[in-house]
Amino acid sequence: MGKITIEPLSRLEGHGKVTIVVDDSGNPLDVKLHITAIRGFEQFVVGRPAEEVPRIVTRICGICQTPHHLASVKAVDAAWDVEIPEAAKKLRELMLLGNMIHSHALHFYYLAVPDFILGLDADPKVRNVVGLIEKSPEMVKKAIALRKFGQGIVEKVGGRPIHPVTAIPGGIAKTLSEEERDTFLKEIDTMIEYARESVELIKSINESYMDIVKSVGVIDTWYLGIVKEGKHSFYDGVLRFLSPDGSEKVEFSFSEYQDYIGEHNVPHSYVKYPYYKKVGYPEGIYRVGPLAMMNVCDSIPTPLAEEARREFLDMFGSPANQSLAYHHARLIELLAACERTKELLEDDEITSTDVKVDVEPKAGDGVGVVEAPRGVLIHHYQTDDRGIVTKANMIVASTHNVPAMEEALKQAVKEIFKK
Amino acid sequence: MGGKAKLGMIQLCGCSGCHISLLDLHDQLHQLLPQVEILFAPIVADMKEIPEGIDVFLVEGGIRNKHEKHLLEEIREKSKVVVAWGTCAAYGGIPGLGNLYPTEELLKEAFSTGTVDNPGEMPEEDIPKLLDRVYPISHFIDVDFVLPGCPPKPEHNLELIGALLEGREPKISKKIVCDQCPRKREGTYPKEFKRTFEGTPDRERCLFEQGYTCVGMATRAGCGAVCPSANVPCRGCYGKTDAVLDQGAAVANAYALTGDAALKLPDKLGLFYRFSMAAGLIPKKIHK
Repeated sequence: MGKITIEPLSRLEGHGKVTIVVDDSGNPLDVKLHITAIRGFEQFVVGRPAEEVPRIVTRICGICQTPHHLASVKAVDAAWDVEIPEAAKKLRELMLLGNMIHSHALHFYYLAVPDFILGLDADPKVRNVVGLIEKSPEMVKKAIALRKFGQGIVEKVGGRPIHPVTAIPGGIAKTLSEEERDTFLKEIDTMIEYARESVELIKSINESYMDIVKSVGVIDTWYLGIVKEGKHSFYDGVLRFLSPDGSEKVEFSFSEYQDYIGEHNVPHSYVKYPYYKKVGYPEGIYRVGPLAMMNVCDSIPTPLAEEARREFLDMFGSPANQSLAYHHARLIELLAACERTKELLEDDEITSTDVKVDVEPKAGDGVGVVEAPRGVLIHHYQTDDRGIVTKANMIVASTHNVPAMEEALKQAVKEIFKK
Repeated sequence: MGGKAKLGMIQLCGCSGCHISLLDLHDQLHQLLPQVEILFAPIVADMKEIPEGIDVFLVEGGIRNKHEKHLLEEIREKSKVVVAWGTCAAYGGIPGLGNLYPTEELLKEAFSTGTVDNPGEMPEEDIPKLLDRVYPISHFIDVDFVLPGCPPKPEHNLELIGALLEGREPKISKKIVCDQCPRKREGTYPKEFKRTFEGTPDRERCLFEQGYTCVGMATRAGCGAVCPSANVPCRGCYGKTDAVLDQGAAVANAYALTGDAALKLPDKLGLFYRFSMAAGLIPKKIHK
């Protein structure tokens, strides 16, 4: 018996390691994914005034701080029964999309694509974004432009590009000026074009790597995502589970999540393992994020992304179950986010100054959900009559995926050790 | 330093925001990257071992567990210059709010939330044990430079690396956020404090004087007063200035001048020490 440890897991945010137990002949017996860090946000937001929490939970993740800011403020709005103005909803959605554009471009170009462009066997010293700049400067130029655009939106709407601050219970503290809007409008068609080119790029990468995409990390799980009237939605809607074979769809409102989602503590990880409650643990493990979103929605409401989604399902089946197809799905979401951003920028209400209603704190219980770049993000708080948080539960996007990531690793190890 | 600087970067008990802020140099990355050779940076590259002979190591995040402490000590041994990169490394940052709770309670709460089917069953197999609290990195090693900010702005990263390449001290502001804030001050003190959702702040006047709980007067400048400019009060994310020992005490000192108003504030610790609990003169809540 022996043990292989892969640590640190790299080109990702967070802390983890993989351990593989092998028998005396070197055959894998067990594979575990250990998430090795915990900070205790669910405890230390307790005692804080609820309106402060959206400014604290951003620090859960420096890449996807904006969805944490927004799911959090939605939970406080819900706990205090606040209905915010339409214009504030649109500004918050725009902020979310800015982060989505930055994060999807970062995830694909800065973190993932070096594997494919520089090659899986390339020296780790060059198999990264720095190596990519030397090999494909034009590609990186577009990736930088997409990130700069996305971060620019978060800065103008959220006050800062990283760890935004403007979402407050009752709406938003900052408005978008017509000049700011016009600057983004001038650039948005170029961003849509770059996103479209990104989808073309992944299609050509798929062609070279299809045998790996269709064999390594292929597992059947449930899928979870946000839909609005059945359609793909980032900011609002209901949650929908889809069964592994695609035959069963179950929809529920954000506030009902505890009836459908359970979590199980495991001995080897600081992350709890979420599962679909009606099926139980571990059979009910599921995936969230771009791949799940392609599967659970009936369609994407913007035309270019919808066309790309149909092509995607033709290529990978419906539901698509290949973990490596996440990249392709992510770039379709990048395109969807750019198209939706254009709709919002062209909406006159986006520069409205009617962005805040009066708020009274009270004892309450509220759930806030948005689609973060890695998937469904849930914040749930209880407050006392002064509006101080007394209890918190957060199920962050990557957490939903951890049990499935471990399964995918097990399958991948089996597949790779065969060779 | 001569030639390319050998650079290491790591995220310990942080969020990666400092790394992302470095990437937010966008096109200017082309200016920075040719000057450095990245030898270790798990967030963007796959090297698994920290090599010897690193010129500058940027450490993001404070220390929450034994593994992070071990890595930090290894980094110190193998690097000429170690930078406390961002507010978590320098002062503990937001995770330092965990110091208001005993570690056992923090863990118990995390593994007993409403959705858990086996509450209280704690993980411990092959994962690092938590320390008794969050620590700034300077608690365990000698730190050569501190670059505060949550995160430090992209241009601060450029200045930091540029300065270290030229062998000079990086310039960081010695002023307070108020010095960079465009809002008008009249030198008055509020009679009572408002919470951020109450009313609509006047866009021209000082937020603190309007009764909003701004802590810019006890926070190092550098951000350009971004939060007050976005119509929300400063929360202190650049940490203390050189003139004081303890950021929270400096806030308390300013707020004390409002008399009863300050006494009525909810969650004073969570406000005054939002980003620097772990570096306070009393760095954790004592539980009897």
